Amino acid sequence: MGIDRYDHGALDMNAHSAILPDDLSQLSDAELRRLELKIARKHSGMFPWGAVVWAFANMAVWLSLWPLVFTGLMPLWVAFPIACANMALVYLPTHEAQHDIIARPGTKLRWLNELVGHSTSWMIVYPFEVLRVTHLDHHRHTNDPELDVDITVNAPGPWHALWGIIAQRQPRAKRNRDYAAALTRAGRTDLIVLSLAYKLGHIAILSALAWNGYALEALFLWWLPYQIAITYIIFFLSWAPHHPGAEQGRYRNTRSWRSKLGNIGSMGMQFHIVHHLHPYIPLYRTPMAYWEMRPILEARGCRIEEL
Amino acid sequence: MERALKIIAGILPLIFAFAFLVPVIDQGMAAIGIAAPFGLASLTFALIVGGTWGLIATITGRWI
Repeated sequence: MGIDRYDHGALDMNAHSAILPDDLSQLSDAELRRLELKIARKHSGMFPWGAVVWAFANMAVWLSLWPLVFTGLMPLWVAFPIACANMALVYLPTHEAQHDIIARPGTKLRWLNELVGHSTSWMIVYPFEVLRVTHLDHHRHTNDPELDVDITVNAPGPWHALWGIIAQRQPRAKRNRDYAAALTRAGRTDLIVLSLAYKLGHIAILSALAWNGYALEALFLWWLPYQIAITYIIFFLSWAPHHPGAEQGRYRNTRSWRSKLGNIGSMGMQFHIVHHLHPYIPLYRTPMAYWEMRPILEARGCRIEEL
Repeated sequence: MERALKIIAGILPLIFAFAFLVPVIDQGMAAIGIAAPFGLASLTFALIVGGTWGLIATITGRWI
């Protein structure tokens, strides 16, 4: 069966794609792959303005909390949950930048891609290049017990996962060594030094605030929101979409799933399978790509769970 | 260079304890109106608790 007859060009966002035939069972691997790529291309290549605005607006809100609290215009107990939300919202725009979704190398807006990454990732105390190198390594080695930098997040259930995520942030945790090993494999030991510099810089800023009488402001506007947010981020971006993290291979190393917090509450990760298959698709297009691609994912034996 | 970095990374919990944890304990106690035991000044108490916790974290590699 040929596939050109199903090439109907631009489509509406219907659950049933006009790109796909009704019966995929007779298609070869190559034909499925070609259809999958056709759908992926349809949902990629657009400029994700939302992610750019999100990145800088989020940083601006968080920075504004400091003078508002210091001047007494906003109580610390009001600022604290906002700071937690700000910290949780840092990662996804940098994630778009890690995958060059905002602008690819050599393109006119490449500077903006890099600016989004570098100018916001410091809030969660990670150099952008560390996030990029280690995350791309995770894509290459997903669920590999030896090489996946996120393998330590594996846990039998959500409560074990939450505890494990906290445990793996301890000073001598395996996760730290896994990240250092990934940077070493990539020939970027300079980034290990930079990571340490970021940590020392973070402590220096917290210390300067604390010893000048603003310890609780530093605690509730940065340190504690960071701890809560990084737990939330790792839970929804690493543990949940890969759970149980036992299989490797393009179509089996992640899944679609339904979160009790919904798609926004789980930061769009219900459709993580689409991200792993086609990491150049912007976050806001992954649900549409998923629903259109779903029959192919089913035909491929992907882990389509509850969604 | 590598050795120096390992030493700094190794004592990071202790640095964190004295740089941040101690004033957090001290100012936290003042904020909720808890007095230090045994007639100690709250900063002295914070130095003992925070410093000990940081030392334990440095030795064991775990805060909790």
